[in-house]
Amino acid sequence: MANKKKENPESFPWLGRKLLWVDKPGSPLKLVWILAIVCILLGLADFTYNKYGHFSFENVPAFYGIFGFIAFSCVIFGAKALRFLIKRPENFYSPNVVDAEEYPPEELEKVSHDDA
Amino acid sequence: MMMPDQFPPAFVFFVGAIALLLAPQGHARSALTLIIPIIAASILWNMEPGIYDRVEFLGITLELTRVDKLSTVFGLIFCLAAFLGNLFAWHVKDTIQQVAALLYAGSAIGAVFAGDLVTLFIYWEGTAIASVFLIWARRTEGAYHTGLRYLIIQIGSGVILLAGIVLLYRETGSLAFEKMTLGTLATWLIFLAFGIKCAFPLLHNWLQDSYPAATVTGTVILSAFTTKLAVYALARGFPGTELLIYIGAVMTVFPVFFAEIENDLRRVLAYSLNNQLGFMVVGVGIGTEMSLNGTASHAFAHILYKALLFMSVGAVLFRTGTSKASELGGLYRTMPLTTVFCLVGAASISAFPLFSGFVTKSLVLDATAENHYLIVWFMLVFASAGVLSHSGIKIPFFTFFAHDSGKRPKEAPTHMLLAMGATAFLCIFIGVFPEPLYSILPYDVEYHPYTTSHVVGQLQLLLFALLAFCFLMRTGIHPPEIRAINLDSDWIYRRLLPSWISAISVAINAIWSKNLGFWTRKVDALIVRLHKSHGPEGRIAQVWPTGSMVLWIAVLLGATLLVNFV
Amino acid sequence: MEINTAIVLAILIPTLATVTNLLLRNHPNLRDGTTLLAAIETFALVLWLLNETDGTHSETLHIFSVMPGLDIAFHIEPLGLLFALVASGLWIVTHIYAIGYMRGNKEKNHTRFFACFSFAIAATLGIAFSANMFSLFIFYEVLTLSTYPLVAHKGTRDAKRGARTYLGVLIGTSIGLQLVAIVWTWLVAGTLDFTAGGILEGKIAGPMVMILLALYAFGIGKAALMPFHRWLPAAMVAPTPVSALLHAVAVVKAGVFTMLKVGVYIFGIDFLATTGASEWLMWLAGFSILAASVVAMTKDNLKARLAYSTVSQLSYITLGMALATSMGALGGGMHIAMHAMGKITLFMCAGAIYVATHKTEISDMTGLGKVMPFTFGAFLIGAVSIIGLPPFGGSWSKWLLMVGAADAGQQIMIAILMISSLLNVAYLMPIVGKGFFLAGDAKNKSMKISEAPLLCVLPPVLTAIGCLVLFFLASDLQEFLLPMVAGR
Repeated sequence: MANKKKENPESFPWLGRKLLWVDKPGSPLKLVWILAIVCILLGLADFTYNKYGHFSFENVPAFYGIFGFIAFSCVIFGAKALRFLIKRPENFYSPNVVDAEEYPPEELEKVSHDDA
Repeated sequence: MMMPDQFPPAFVFFVGAIALLLAPQGHARSALTLIIPIIAASILWNMEPGIYDRVEFLGITLELTRVDKLSTVFGLIFCLAAFLGNLFAWHVKDTIQQVAALLYAGSAIGAVFAGDLVTLFIYWEGTAIASVFLIWARRTEGAYHTGLRYLIIQIGSGVILLAGIVLLYRETGSLAFEKMTLGTLATWLIFLAFGIKCAFPLLHNWLQDSYPAATVTGTVILSAFTTKLAVYALARGFPGTELLIYIGAVMTVFPVFFAEIENDLRRVLAYSLNNQLGFMVVGVGIGTEMSLNGTASHAFAHILYKALLFMSVGAVLFRTGTSKASELGGLYRTMPLTTVFCLVGAASISAFPLFSGFVTKSLVLDATAENHYLIVWFMLVFASAGVLSHSGIKIPFFTFFAHDSGKRPKEAPTHMLLAMGATAFLCIFIGVFPEPLYSILPYDVEYHPYTTSHVVGQLQLLLFALLAFCFLMRTGIHPPEIRAINLDSDWIYRRLLPSWISAISVAINAIWSKNLGFWTRKVDALIVRLHKSHGPEGRIAQVWPTGSMVLWIAVLLGATLLVNFV
Repeated sequence: MEINTAIVLAILIPTLATVTNLLLRNHPNLRDGTTLLAAIETFALVLWLLNETDGTHSETLHIFSVMPGLDIAFHIEPLGLLFALVASGLWIVTHIYAIGYMRGNKEKNHTRFFACFSFAIAATLGIAFSANMFSLFIFYEVLTLSTYPLVAHKGTRDAKRGARTYLGVLIGTSIGLQLVAIVWTWLVAGTLDFTAGGILEGKIAGPMVMILLALYAFGIGKAALMPFHRWLPAAMVAPTPVSALLHAVAVVKAGVFTMLKVGVYIFGIDFLATTGASEWLMWLAGFSILAASVVAMTKDNLKARLAYSTVSQLSYITLGMALATSMGALGGGMHIAMHAMGKITLFMCAGAIYVATHKTEISDMTGLGKVMPFTFGAFLIGAVSIIGLPPFGGSWSKWLLMVGAADAGQQIMIAILMISSLLNVAYLMPIVGKGFFLAGDAKNKSMKISEAPLLCVLPPVLTAIGCLVLFFLASDLQEFLLPMVAGR
């Protein structure tokens, strides 16, 4: 939003100001690293206690972690393939659906933060 | 008719709806919509188990109020959902929506306490009629058409139920709403009727079609009742039906993919709702005490976190006018509280430890494992990771974080924050202290969700999946949010069948008009001929009146003779 | 008061109202007032009869004999009393509505209109109380003739053409088919009295039963069984109160009432069931139900749509008889009342919309719900009752019909009733949905529309409440009708 007027982050709510940290350069990468470390720790944690799953393969260390990673990736790739097949323009069913419609403004209270 | 021996909780809502019409528009009315669920809940809480309000009607016995633990837990959560939904809708000044919400909630509660199938049918259709107004109330062309589609499917579910009831009644002579076994046409019809409202695979599209079309507040209300009523009906009517396990498993998996590529966040939530219903249906299908407890508790928790998610997206829609992921992003700056509440809902639905989904979903998962449904179990765990992808990550991430849309809406209004805050509190409370919820479940089962292996296993599943998300986002593989819609199987009845029907009707029309033309010409020719001979200029014209009289008398006589001698 | 006196009075008072209408033609308020009084009195008389006899009075009142065995005679039985109740009760509402409509719409020839109206009611009550097929036939024809001027009321070319179709089909079928059937019945059975259990058993057999039933079924043109249904849409040119009279109070109800009478008291349900003679009729009725609904969906003119809806709903009642089970016949009987209440609501709403806006096409009615909330609210209730959904009366008659179909082992008929409900949703609910929830044309906004006059709005609101009340009265209604099928 290059042509937008300069905004004043000081006017944001307190919590919003604090959360601005996530958009600082480098922050996302930091978060990813923290997550990766937590994941490794969780994987290692499997060696510290006796697992008693219903199925034998549940006792493989980090089973759930590996499964989660793979499952998530499958979802994404599957979804990408699906999108290739079934994506249609937003007004495909118009005018019989709400997708390409504006939400009627009288039901809403569209108030900008700056105006308040 | 006689006086009821127990005032049915549903009637509180109906009486309340009438009172609402008389109350002045404004805060008094909004307050009334909050008081009604509280009164109903207090009545409900004090009901002793048993069957009340028997009414003899049309030669059958209606049991308006059947109280047991299963109906009570659903009744309670419905009251709670009505309260929270109405609080979220405090600002609404539209009488139609307010009345519809009350009638809808009342019908759902009435259905839950129905002791016989006819009463169930009455309330079943009640939910259909009342709820459509929450969609129509958006007052746009698209919402009108969507509402009509929704209504036809919902009423369709009701008439199928009625047909099943009639056949069952004639087969068994009983109308009691008890456990049934699939086998006869009657039970299959009832099963199908439940399945439509429960959004079974291929019967599901009404859900994703209609919920995003409802009003900001309407969707929150809609999300609580219809489908969970169907889950209740299945739990009451078909516990332990093995087919349900597989139906449920498919239900958990397939919406995950659709949700991932859907742009409208309220439709994402509708797919996600479908996926969560799958867990409950599996629980019903297994049919053990533990799994049924899992179904009931998951329904309870689910209504809350799903409402919370719909509320947070609704609040965004209320402030920005859109709920499309491609148009949103970066809203945490000015809507931080909504962000936090949304994150609580996301964590709950993803079943992070200390949130409500964790303590309820694991009941179903463990029941699946205990009964050695290996493949189903895999599907459910897969779906659990899938839930994270759309409800856990997509909803909060693309709305409140991610790419900054430049939108700087004001924080949600106070009553919405209160509603979301209360719901979020309950989500966390149930997650941290599951015992109160466990104690109102249908069966007494000792269950401890917080074991080391459970907690570590679940955290692994979710956090590794999150890691995969980060990886895919940073490598650009994750599908972007784009303005588009995706086809679902409703394409069959929205595009394919109509095109066939119009082709057939064109053909029939052509044949019809050709035929008609042929016969019209014949008749015309006949008239012309008759006119020539019998007409004023014709040869027989001189004796016309007598002649025709004689003819008619001959015909009558002939008919009489024929009649007499056969 | 004697019961027989009450019967005669109930028929005489509307006849007298016709006379007072003609006498008081120069005093419109007095004229309409006395007619209202007559309507209330008639209704009170029927109520008194209900209270006195409980629908189980079997003594027959002979007025005079044409020839031995052919009498004009009256009696009381549950179905007839129910029909009399519906007709006389709705007369009050329709009359009030007609006053509002005729004046609000500045129609002409009020006196002729109200005189014919009252006379039609007298004929209807005659039909309801008839003790044999001969009397019923006489009153049936009187009803046709007395409603003819009402259909042609506007006097335009369209109106005259519609009225000619109306008269042609009704008189044609009744003389050409029904009369033959009656003569035939008289010849084989030696009597035409309505008797519990029927009079034809053992008198006629084989395919002849089927042919006789066909003569009756098509001869009773007022029941609008396809393909003799065209008169009903054609008669839509009449003013709306007449449409209400035709559709809910008198004419079509007289048709299906006769149909039920023939099925229950001439043939007898058991006789039909054992010979299977009515099975083809059941299929035809089923076809009629669906086909008329489909046609209704294609009509944009509100009254035409409602007319086809009536064709469809009447076939419910014919179906109830043709199922040849007691539950079916009860359901059919009950549907007379339920459909009357629902359909009259819809018609009066259509009329109210016309009075207030002069709109007849559904596509022009978008957005009117906001300015006419009571009319559209009543329409919603009437529609839901017609669809057959709780908590309105229509749901119970449908339930009984479905149970009847299950008893007859006809699962396809259950399916037809189900599909019909959905078709009803598809053609009735859009009117409500578009009316309330879509913004109307800019034209509508500039027209300054408001609710129709009170006399046009109050009656549909009352009958809408009636639909709700009937939901709770269904059980009493069934108990009341029970002797109709059990008294043999």
